Amino acid sequence: MTTPIRVVIAEDSAILRDGLVQLLVDRGFVVTEAVSDPDALRRSVERDCPDVAIVDIRMPPTFTDEGLRAAIDLRRVHSGLGILMFSQYIETRYATELLADNSAGVGYLLKDRVADVSEFVDALERVASGGTALDPEVVTQLLGASRRAGSISTLSPREKEVLSLMAEGRTNAAIAGDLTISEGAVERHVTNIFLKLDLPASQTDHRRILAVLRYLDS
Amino acid sequence: MVIVLPEDLEIRIRRIAHAILRAPFTKQTWSELLFFVVGAPLAALGFAFIALTMAAGVSLAVTFIGLAMLALSIRGARKIGGIHRAVARGILGEQIDEPDPFVARPGFLGWLQSTLRDRAGWRAMAYAVIKVPLVFVGFFVAFAVWFDAFEFLTYPLQGADSAGEIGVVRVLFPPGFFSVGDPRFLHGVAIFCGGVFLLFLAPWAVRAVVYVDRLLMRSLLGPDAVAVRVRSLELARAQTVDASAATLRRIERDLHDGTQAQLVALAMRLGMAKEKLDDADHLDLDQVRELVVDAHRGAKEAITELRDLARGIHPPALDTGLEGALSTLAARNTIPTELTLELKDRPTPAIESIAYFCVAELLANVAQHAHASRASVTCAQHGRWLRVVVRDDGVGGARPSRLGSSSSGLTGLSDRVRAVDGRFDITSPPDGPTTITVDLPLHA
Repeated sequence: MTTPIRVVIAEDSAILRDGLVQLLVDRGFVVTEAVSDPDALRRSVERDCPDVAIVDIRMPPTFTDEGLRAAIDLRRVHSGLGILMFSQYIETRYATELLADNSAGVGYLLKDRVADVSEFVDALERVASGGTALDPEVVTQLLGASRRAGSISTLSPREKEVLSLMAEGRTNAAIAGDLTISEGAVERHVTNIFLKLDLPASQTDHRRILAVLRYLDS
Repeated sequence: MVIVLPEDLEIRIRRIAHAILRAPFTKQTWSELLFFVVGAPLAALGFAFIALTMAAGVSLAVTFIGLAMLALSIRGARKIGGIHRAVARGILGEQIDEPDPFVARPGFLGWLQSTLRDRAGWRAMAYAVIKVPLVFVGFFVAFAVWFDAFEFLTYPLQGADSAGEIGVVRVLFPPGFFSVGDPRFLHGVAIFCGGVFLLFLAPWAVRAVVYVDRLLMRSLLGPDAVAVRVRSLELARAQTVDASAATLRRIERDLHDGTQAQLVALAMRLGMAKEKLDDADHLDLDQVRELVVDAHRGAKEAITELRDLARGIHPPALDTGLEGALSTLAARNTIPTELTLELKDRPTPAIESIAYFCVAELLANVAQHAHASRASVTCAQHGRWLRVVVRDDGVGGARPSRLGSSSSGLTGLSDRVRAVDGRFDITSPPDGPTTITVDLPLHA
């Protein structure tokens, strides 16, 4: 068995904090600490060096975006730390701010996603291992707000689906499973998308996602 | 027959006599004289400025420069008004608030237009113009009366021949008027008595003119009544807008931290239970049952929270009137609370809602802070007003504060009440008891 992923949770709602701990422990994660404010999160990361932090965006003292600020600071110091932002709202501005430097090991999910336990655990594992996990809602907003709407409209419906899933941070295999098509078919769609959007073709999943996000955000 | 005066009347008469006898020697009397001495040249200068600029402005009115001159005149009138205010404050101690500050719209044309429409400027100009005859009258009255008083008092020392060469009283009392018996002696005594009379009359004559001036300054140099009302309405509106924004923010926070979090946790537990049930090979029914039990409890808590929140937005009991809603509040209060209701007409919903939330908040305060053993709520109609009184026998010391989260506290309540032109009075001495009176118009 592989070593369990070590997680720190920063969430000010006691109900959700306890629920998350219960869920993660049940799924074999190690929860190093569950805290309720950004300062405690900073101390906890400093001390325990976890693999990934689940961070609520809205936390005391001002209940605006303390969590996001703390997460951005933490990533500067601990480059290996995965950050999964966790919020009841999706703000495109937060997403672009979070992805500004580097999308490796970054996630941004609606809190509702914990209801689908396996997908949530999947996303967390992806972020912990340096991948990306963006909420479908984030991707929709990014697509909607993108100034490249013109070239995106040249994509076929299927290609748009693949693009969305790619932006969420899914691997080819996961996309294939989701759309019940073969991995080869996904590959072909991806190649087409990159051609149509005039993006440099890239081999690794991560670089592809980065390219797509940069594209949408520019 | 002896007239027995009631005691308070006697005291009052004594006071008046005292005031009359002291008047010529008080500071106020001399301040008022000084006010005219200083005011006269100021009035003359101010009038000269306005007359010149207005004359130039009107004669050039067809050209642009004419309008600019007029505007200059109005701006100047405001400044002159400021000087008059300062003089009144410095010499008379008359505190007149500044009118609303002049706010020019951008650009020269905007400035011109705003200036020509500046009510305070025009009013100051009116004062500067009226001030001239007023100062003239004041000067005349003051110096005529004071000078004659001096003349008459010193008359016996001057000899009969020099009497009445100067002064108005000569016109009122022609020589020989008092000459009965020994004409020269009686004449002298009469004129001396007249001097004494004038000495005590003089302060009041001056005071009368100053009084007129005070009235004029208050109405023309101060903020005008409409502007004051508009400002208070603007303030009330701003507070209402702030309060409703704060209320929305509070509701959003309550939903976010409460119900929404509850539901997410609930969905998460059900999600875990579902996946455990799907995994038929390692099915642990006890674990699943535990999750479902937690979820069930969470759902019930969420329902309770949601109900409380909904009631905080608008209590359903209020739909049928204040009576039911208030009796529920009184009954639910942790401290024994007596409720008295006398309402003939039903207030408008907005007023009912404000009254309800006042009582709710005040009773909550009583329960939390007052250490009281009893509380009472009376809600009675007085004509077109609704008076709500909340009393407790607790420790007192309740006072509004702008600090912290008091937007929902006493300050918030008082803002809400004043927004509908109501009154909010707190009587809460340090040792208690506390009485809070809220007056609301029946129809807002």
